[in-house]
Amino acid sequence: MANDSRIDRARARARSAKAVIASGTLLIFGVAFVGAKIHAPGHPKGKPKPLGAPQSFKRAVKQSIAQGGVVQPAIQPPPVGTATS
Amino acid sequence: MNVERFEAMGCEIVVSGAEPAAVAAVFEEWEAAFSLFRPDSELSRVNRSTGSVVAVSPLFARTLQVALDVAAETDGLVDPTLCGRWGEVRLAGRVLSRFPGVALDLNGVVKSLAVDASAELISDEGFVSAGGDIAVRGPVDVALPHGGAIRVVEGGVATSGTASRGQHLVDPRTGEPSDSPWEQVTASGSSCLAADVAAKVAFLLGADGPAWLDDREIAGRFVARDGAIVESAAWRGALACT
Repeated sequence: MANDSRIDRARARARSAKAVIASGTLLIFGVAFVGAKIHAPGHPKGKPKPLGAPQSFKRAVKQSIAQGGVVQPAIQPPPVGTATS
Repeated sequence: MNVERFEAMGCEIVVSGAEPAAVAAVFEEWEAAFSLFRPDSELSRVNRSTGSVVAVSPLFARTLQVALDVAAETDGLVDPTLCGRWGEVRLAGRVLSRFPGVALDLNGVVKSLAVDASAELISDEGFVSAGGDIAVRGPVDVALPHGGAIRVVEGGVATSGTASRGQHLVDPRTGEPSDSPWEQVTASGSSCLAADVAAKVAFLLGADGPAWLDDREIAGRFVARDGAIVESAAWRGALACT
């Protein structure tokens, strides 16, 4: 009986130790997970933005590539001329 | 109209309505980045790079993106690789990737983009011209090759051809100097870049050039090798409206 009692107490201590270790592990993992979400550079908090030219700039360039300008008959002596270069 | 002149990018820059020193600084910045004749230019460094992936500056990335957009819009007639391989050039943000040995030549867009950037410095009305590629703010009368003049009210005007330095426009479809029937093509555009691209494409397309401009309602004027003048529908309409 005394042996059984000692084994029971040992088992109880082992269960307690396992519970403490499991709880600690979960707590550390949770804190690390939340910390990584908040602070790690690999976890952007906002929507990522492309590094290149803004889309509005690209759209404006694309739209203007094949658009004519506005010309009229000349009315003064021209200060400049267009030519091949 | 007060006009200032100086040399940059191997041609005459004519400025009115903006501080010449500020315009010169813009051209110097673009030339330092994109000159093929300066070994220390960013373009020269990129072309010397043996790696297939290269990080480039924001200005370089923006300009190359414009060049690739122009190539797509013109079916490769204005090609930053000059050899039909522009479709293999990839740009993701500031990371350029292409097969090593595929050299870039951004001259097809750099001068006109520098003109457009310089025109942003015009405080009220005026113009910037680089070797005859012009952007205006407010109406400016512009002399044309082989006589005559037009008033550019908005955007820009540019001329492409063979008259100034001989056969210098290479047709990327053949890799040979163009055998266009035109001596010079002048086109208007919503910007100097647009005008320059329209003039180049219309020149390289040869007999199909006027139709290409008509499809896009772009005003353009063609001078044939025999001196005959052909005008696009938009050009005729614009000059007949008053």
